[in-house]
Amino acid sequence: MEKVFEVEGLRFTYKKNGVEAVRGIDFAVRKGEIFGLLGPSGAGKSTTQKILTRLLKNYEGRIEYLGKDLKEYDNTFFEDVGVGFELPVHFSKLTGAENMAFFQRLYKKNADVAALLKRVGLYEDKDRRVGEYSKGMKMRLNFVRALLNDPKILFLDEVTNGLDPKNARIVKDMIREFKESGGTVLLSTHLMNDVEELCDRIAFISGGEIREISTPRDLKIKYGRRELSVEYYENSETKLETFDLDKLGENERFMDIVKNRTIETMHSGETSLDDIFIKVTGEKIHE
Amino acid sequence: MSNFMVLLKGEFQRLIKYNIVQVGFGVSVLWVLVLFLIGRDQAADFVPLFIFMDASLMTILLIGAGLFYERQENTLKSLMITPSKLGYIIASKLVSAVYIALQSALFIGLLAYFFFDAAVNFAYLLPFTLLIALSHAMIGYAIAVLVEDFPALLATLMLYMIVFAFPSIFYALDLFDGIWEVVLIASPTHASFLLIDFSFGYDISTTLLVVSVAYLFLLAFSLARFVVFPKYIEKAVRE
Repeated sequence: MEKVFEVEGLRFTYKKNGVEAVRGIDFAVRKGEIFGLLGPSGAGKSTTQKILTRLLKNYEGRIEYLGKDLKEYDNTFFEDVGVGFELPVHFSKLTGAENMAFFQRLYKKNADVAALLKRVGLYEDKDRRVGEYSKGMKMRLNFVRALLNDPKILFLDEVTNGLDPKNARIVKDMIREFKESGGTVLLSTHLMNDVEELCDRIAFISGGEIREISTPRDLKIKYGRRELSVEYYENSETKLETFDLDKLGENERFMDIVKNRTIETMHSGETSLDDIFIKVTGEKIHE
Repeated sequence: MSNFMVLLKGEFQRLIKYNIVQVGFGVSVLWVLVLFLIGRDQAADFVPLFIFMDASLMTILLIGAGLFYERQENTLKSLMITPSKLGYIIASKLVSAVYIALQSALFIGLLAYFFFDAAVNFAYLLPFTLLIALSHAMIGYAIAVLVEDFPALLATLMLYMIVFAFPSIFYALDLFDGIWEVVLIASPTHASFLLIDFSFGYDISTTLLVVSVAYLFLLAFSLARFVVFPKYIEKAVRE
């Protein structure tokens, strides 16, 4: 599959404090995939995103965008790119529509902003000043801002942060539709539910290094236990037994429980992405 | 429409929406009221000082405060990920700041001409005001990209006033001897004063005029080249 970004030996040190935020990472983002960049605060994921969006330039290593060195691109690179920032990025005394109109005129290619505003439920409020919007409304406008140049690649940072479940669902559906239409997404989030729902592949980054890259499914298998826990009802009480998944059908005790007891629950030893996050990065998830 | 024109139009839209044009005009009206209070005989002497204040110190404050406000709203970062060139982004803000200074100079200058018989030469006043506002906008940018927060910006502006502006104002009010002019010429404030004074018919030597113009040009260019452009992205990107 065609690679949108190919990153080799990427290193970045902030001059001001001398902190090496990214320490020689390698990864590729394939066309049409949703790639999750996960890690605790200060892990280097925001720095990596800023480098890929050309906000930080003095990096070491090589980054190719569509087969060409990122450093060789001029500002027309941004015609391809949409960025959904973690925090609202609007002029508070301008209306939602005025904000979008201003930014949209800076691009050659334009999406249907009215349709986007309708989709995220902001069309009715488009003529209100952004300063009067709630946090959730500002975040939805951030998402529209990211899409208004009809980009080929989306960088999204905590995109559902501050959204209620209904609006989070709408945004996630739109991300999935963007992918299905051929777009590529680089998603950075702490919300493992979003990762599980959206990401084709994920990279765990910690201490400026990539600790794991794989699909959510493969990671769950790798870090999970090959076992099955069964809760069943016997002699007026609930009992729990755990069985090895290998040759489970030949396990007489398990077959006896299945045939002769009232089973209450069955759980495989598959682990959650939350647990993998903690295990791989060595840190708890910061909400 | 080119990206520069879009950015410029956006700057002017925000100048109005954020009431900056209105406040700028209000300050000019305030200066005019002060001139009327001073009285017809002495008012003409104070007109250059008020135009200077708007074109220099107000411009520094306008650019500096604007940059911090935009950083707070994260709009600097949002602009940096558009196809616009950094030079266009900075230039559009410069033009809007210069416009405010020109608006003020024109308003005060016209009133001074019609009501206080001030000998204003607008052919000098407007281009010189433009140069003064441009160089001080760069000073405002330089301070804003070098300091950490808005209180630090205000503190630096106060320091700037004490070091550069006050001596020139005292000199203009004849509180210093003429010998100080040799030292004061190194101050952008004093160079600005000379240009405004010349526009109001004061006798300034050609050498001093040329040195002042060259100095303000060189200052604006140097600050842009070595401070503002290299530091602007860093400022915009920092969370």
